[in-house]
Amino acid sequence: MQIQVKCSCGAEKCPEWAIIELQGVVEVQPSFQHSLQNLQIGLLCRPSSQENYTFTVGYHELTGYKVALKKPMVVLKKIKYMDVERQIDEATSSSSCVELDVVGFIRHKILFKTRPTALISGPQPTVKEKINAEGA
Amino acid sequence: MLLNLQPTSSVSIQYHPFFGPHDDLVLLELDEKLLSDVLYQRVTLRGQPDEDAVLCTKSKTYSVKFVGTSNSVFLIPPADYSTSHESGGENYNQQVPTASVIKVAPGNMELVEVAPRLDKLKSILSENLYSSDEASTAMGDLYKWDDLINKVQASDDELKAGLQALSAVEIDGYWRIVDEKYMDVILRMLLHNSVLNDWSLDSLVEDKVVSVLESDGFPRKLVYHCLNVYGSRVEEAMDGGVWRLDARRVCVHFARGILREGKRKMESFMEEWLRMIPEEIQPSFDMLEGEVLTEKLGVETWVRALSVSSLPTTPADRFSILFKERAKWEWKDLEPYIRDLNVPGLSSEALLLKYTRRSQPSIDAEPVFSAR
Repeated sequence: MQIQVKCSCGAEKCPEWAIIELQGVVEVQPSFQHSLQNLQIGLLCRPSSQENYTFTVGYHELTGYKVALKKPMVVLKKIKYMDVERQIDEATSSSSCVELDVVGFIRHKILFKTRPTALISGPQPTVKEKINAEGA
Repeated sequence: MLLNLQPTSSVSIQYHPFFGPHDDLVLLELDEKLLSDVLYQRVTLRGQPDEDAVLCTKSKTYSVKFVGTSNSVFLIPPADYSTSHESGGENYNQQVPTASVIKVAPGNMELVEVAPRLDKLKSILSENLYSSDEASTAMGDLYKWDDLINKVQASDDELKAGLQALSAVEIDGYWRIVDEKYMDVILRMLLHNSVLNDWSLDSLVEDKVVSVLESDGFPRKLVYHCLNVYGSRVEEAMDGGVWRLDARRVCVHFARGILREGKRKMESFMEEWLRMIPEEIQPSFDMLEGEVLTEKLGVETWVRALSVSSLPTTPADRFSILFKERAKWEWKDLEPYIRDLNVPGLSSEALLLKYTRRSQPSIDAEPVFSAR
């Protein structure tokens, strides 16, 4: 079986995606669990001309930096479709096809790996950051 | 946007209107040099449903593995990204720029270069060897190039090299391995005709050889195949189509034939072997390295067949069989049986370290390799 890896947007137009990476888990207040869409997670700021960033989630402030990935990544989308014209092949049990489409590439991420600091007298957050048990 | 956030500015990070698990979106980490192959649609994934997928470029094969992370990796597409749903989600806040997280990635796929999985190629082509009574016995599965691509986890270039190593031949669009006994018949007929017609084995004229053997009843394709298997084209010939038989390949062929029925005493083997080899060819026992093993049993030396080409291509399986054949090996005997092993990133010293135990009975004795 052979699955073609396509890039339907074209190599030159392939867009760059971004990653924000936290050492931790973002927790959402129970009442908002099922309607996350459009909810704000936090505010990302770049205070100076350096590649340092702050990320404020609820009453926690994280500090981090932008870093180039040691190896680039691509974002692949699996596409399943039924090929009604193709005869059922004895080698495969169904006539569905899978393709992979490259929808983007990633070269940088903004990484937060230090312990967050608590902002005093912040508003009651709907989203807050929780530190991993083994976190830094 | 997020990637070009200017100094002293901020952006609100939100869950995308279509935030969700999106199991159909995966991250694949790759070496810089592979990036353009991927973007320009020069890679494919190959494998059967019950196999681990491999990713193939034109010339290399990579295994694909998932590596998880305990971090939260927020994946943020470009601003105009929409899924199969309509592009919805109003922008409540036009003043504050926003960036939306479509998914939290549990990890990413990684590639590790691997040797092509060619053992399967050999076994499927061996299901239906092409033999002299082909017309009446051709049945079962035969494989065209596209069928092989679907079944064998190797890049195109590696598959071609694998077919070459197996001395496979394409007949009527199907890739076939010819039965050794049939190859023997054709070779002997070629040698017989060389004597009859006074042809030099160093300069066989293709047209003559083909027409004579064709009139003897051999398919044209197979006569060419015979020349390819046992000889090589003479490049310097003025009018193309001149071949030179390769001494080693011819000698190995006859040795295999003699030992097919079992081991033989050295004297008996040598006597028959020398008798079968054409006068023009000078045999030497060294030609049989990687093809035969010699053993002393009592005062007698015996010879038996063990061809490296019959052994598995994966190192673990190869060493396992070698140590079953013989518990202890000296380097000079072992080397021909492992020199073709290909593991990207592992030198032959590293292979020995990984799969063998080295011992040296005394300082001036030869080191000996045995199973770990």
